[in-house]
Amino acid sequence: MGEPYAHPDALVSADWVQEHLRDPKIRIVESDEDLLLYDVGHIPGAVRIDWQGDLQDQIVRDYINAERFAELCSKNGIAADTTVVFYGDKSNWWACYAFWAFTLFGHKNLKIMNGGRKLWIDEGRPVTREVPSYPSTNYKAAGDGEAAIRAFRDDVSAHLKASKPLIDVRSPKEFTGEMLHMEEYPQEGSLRGGHIPTARNVPWNRAVNDDGTFKSVDELRAIYQKDLGLKPADDVIAYCRIGERSSLTWFVLTFLLGFDRVRNYDGSWTEWGNLVRAPIARGA
Amino acid sequence: MPAALDAIIAELRDADRQERIELLIDFAKNLPPLPASLEARKDAEHRVEECQSPVYLFVDMIGDRVALYADAPIEAPTVRGFVSLVLEGLNGSTPEDVFKAPADLVDQCGLTEVLGMLRVRGLSGVLRRIKREVARAAVAQHGSTST
Repeated sequence: MGEPYAHPDALVSADWVQEHLRDPKIRIVESDEDLLLYDVGHIPGAVRIDWQGDLQDQIVRDYINAERFAELCSKNGIAADTTVVFYGDKSNWWACYAFWAFTLFGHKNLKIMNGGRKLWIDEGRPVTREVPSYPSTNYKAAGDGEAAIRAFRDDVSAHLKASKPLIDVRSPKEFTGEMLHMEEYPQEGSLRGGHIPTARNVPWNRAVNDDGTFKSVDELRAIYQKDLGLKPADDVIAYCRIGERSSLTWFVLTFLLGFDRVRNYDGSWTEWGNLVRAPIARGA
Repeated sequence: MPAALDAIIAELRDADRQERIELLIDFAKNLPPLPASLEARKDAEHRVEECQSPVYLFVDMIGDRVALYADAPIEAPTVRGFVSLVLEGLNGSTPEDVFKAPADLVDQCGLTEVLGMLRVRGLSGVLRRIKREVARAAVAQHGSTST
């Protein structure tokens, strides 16, 4: 084994989760791209939080407000001091997105289950279709974590002018502008293909192994620090198409490598690629 | 529109949100396995590229009736369920009836309401692809019988 991650507490194993299934101070949360997966079967005791239906405002393109976040947590039996463990499909894309969204509202004690839903199922661990119910809490959102971890388009413009590092975590073909979305996904979302000028392309999946677990700290350092030349003190902005894949990269840089200041530009390419007069670049 | 598809739409439309989820899961479970001969032909040509999960589609004509076969991953129950629903609704129809299946089928089944708009776009691609392949198969069959 190599060195430990910078913040090893943010990542737990499936074994750890299985040992804590009945711990009242811990709430396990499934967050998936495919909404039906939770209904098909989930970790016993886990609740579902949906990136679209639960976390996003259905009118304004933004997240829910602090009040509604408090309601969501209360309803799911999450108190301010509850440790929340996220897992999900697609190598934990949406689990990392939910982790990031919880951080926006200042919730502490958040964890990702390494390997996500797929590893849990592949290892034959218990699943159930039973939807748990927990006594509701009197949750109050702790505070505003937004400025530290979220970048808006003006922040990106400023970053661009100041030549600070921008990481585009989409697939190479989306980066060059050949495609507007990943291969095999409906090509939708932007009127222009390409990337934000000066952004470097490091597809999100370079950070994970085939089984969905995260790569070791040495392997991650080789990608982000050696190949890309980033330093843990750098002010980094990551983006993708709508902010889910870049949440994973945000998690990797912040918690596994210990970078000080990483922000996720959740407006991402669907916003930037549609902005009138925003500079874009095409090609590799 | 094929009567079978009409009945499925009506059943889903009349269901509430949770019932729709259950119905879609049932469809996902009941997708018939691909015949062994087709299993070996799961290649790029038969992949529905409009859809985000790997869906493979095969269209055949048995007499003047459409025979559809498909495979979709168990890890993507939404897509698998929708594919299964479309197959059950369209199998055994004439090509003309398949063309009459509504383009906004996802919406008519009330699935946009369940899954959210961002999730359902790829599903419509499945139906478009089926119509295109049925048109191709019908033309090929017509061509071969007329010679």
